[in-house]
Amino acid sequence: MCWAVPAKVVSIDSDVIATVDLGQNTLKKVAIGVDNLKVGDYVMVHAGVIIAKLSKEEVMENVKFIEEQIREVAEMIGEDPNEAIKDFEKSVYSILSDEK
Amino acid sequence: MDLPKEIELLFRENLPLAKKIAKEIERLTPLVLRKTGLEKIKIMNFCGSHEWTTTHYGIRAVLPPEIELIPGPGCPVCVTPSSDIENLINLAMEGYRIYVFGDGFKLPTVNHYKTGQISSLSHARALGADVRIVYSFADAIEDVKKDGKKSIFFGMGFETTAPSYAVLFATQKIPKNLMFYSSIKLTAPAAEYAVQVHKEKKRVPVSGVIGPGHVSTIIGAMSWDFFPEKYGIPAVVSGFEPIDVLTGVMIILKNLYTGNITFTDLEYIRVAKREGNLFAKAKINDVFDVVDAIWRGIGTIPKSGLDLNDKFKEYNARLLVNEKPWDYDLPPGCRCNEVTLGLAYPTDCPLFMKACTPARPWGPCMVSMEGACAVWARFGSSERVLSIVKEVR
Repeated sequence: MCWAVPAKVVSIDSDVIATVDLGQNTLKKVAIGVDNLKVGDYVMVHAGVIIAKLSKEEVMENVKFIEEQIREVAEMIGEDPNEAIKDFEKSVYSILSDEK
Repeated sequence: MDLPKEIELLFRENLPLAKKIAKEIERLTPLVLRKTGLEKIKIMNFCGSHEWTTTHYGIRAVLPPEIELIPGPGCPVCVTPSSDIENLINLAMEGYRIYVFGDGFKLPTVNHYKTGQISSLSHARALGADVRIVYSFADAIEDVKKDGKKSIFFGMGFETTAPSYAVLFATQKIPKNLMFYSSIKLTAPAAEYAVQVHKEKKRVPVSGVIGPGHVSTIIGAMSWDFFPEKYGIPAVVSGFEPIDVLTGVMIILKNLYTGNITFTDLEYIRVAKREGNLFAKAKINDVFDVVDAIWRGIGTIPKSGLDLNDKFKEYNARLLVNEKPWDYDLPPGCRCNEVTLGLAYPTDCPLFMKACTPARPWGPCMVSMEGACAVWARFGSSERVLSIVKEVR
């Protein structure tokens, strides 16, 4: 029950209920648990409630956070942090560019 | 490409990055052991979904043997007390319609093994009671509007499900014939309890905590700051993809090595915030009171539950029953209490995959897809895990 799934907001039906697409056109009416929800927002849905919004910027912020952690660990174990980051960038951005 | 797909590729299927982080963990581990003098670095994941990711993707097998990842009490189905299910069975047999999540439907009571006793809500339905499985509280509200039958929703879950109840109660649009039986649990008091138990029982102390990602989306990563502040234990809120969990382990090692343990790190930046979801928190505060709560197999943990406040007492189905103090509520031989506190692995239980299987669960940790026993039963040694481990290594 800690599971949450990403979904896209299809319509806002009332002040408390929205319809989301859980993927492949699986539509579900869910409670709105966040502020300022808009049609088209990506959200996380947990047991019938929207618990958070997701954005591309936040995903990239997450990527940068991991990058920073790798840099710090590399420094700690006496490695060149820029080299460590190079690997990281390759693994992250190659995936994105391959798919696009 | 849509956002969920991008996330999947970045955090789930990114093998080069997984390899990179696993390598850094391997190199940091001996440094941390030398620095701290520990023989083993025990990291507790609180959340059932983290246990799912850890086991499903074989994360234990890619970590050095000195790192031990233990499951914590983070499956709300596993810790729902038998008395709650017994109360709902009685109400169902008295004629109330019960709405329940799928996991709660199958959850066995302590009477599971006694002849002549109703052992679960599914058993009650087989005997003619009106018990309906729903996906959400919102679905139950829609369904109950179709007739005037007296009904009760079994409100299980942690802080993540609480907003779905709270936002709907706060609008005051709950039909008069739908009552609510709250079995909502709060995670932080139980995590603290689990860490203390390891100390009291003189086990290897917990050296790091991976906090629950989606619960923290509501309560905020800062809710776990008591681990670094009060206990000097690094805590990190991680997401649920394998890269997230591996990063969480790496951050804990980094903090143990530097000794810079001051506040909770937030890895799951893409979803959670340090302060949490203020909108949802406000709604929860409007509707619920913090109360002492019973955790299955464990007993009462102070201030670890939510119940409807006085404003909503006409809806409170708990007021229909005589609450009894906790009594040991696991079936004979079941070690779910030790599993949920990280004191035993599922395979330590003599019933595991013998008398207790996902198809016929004997104890509560075998019921939900996120119960540690059910997770280990499904993925503990699958070929898929072994092939992933081989690739990452």
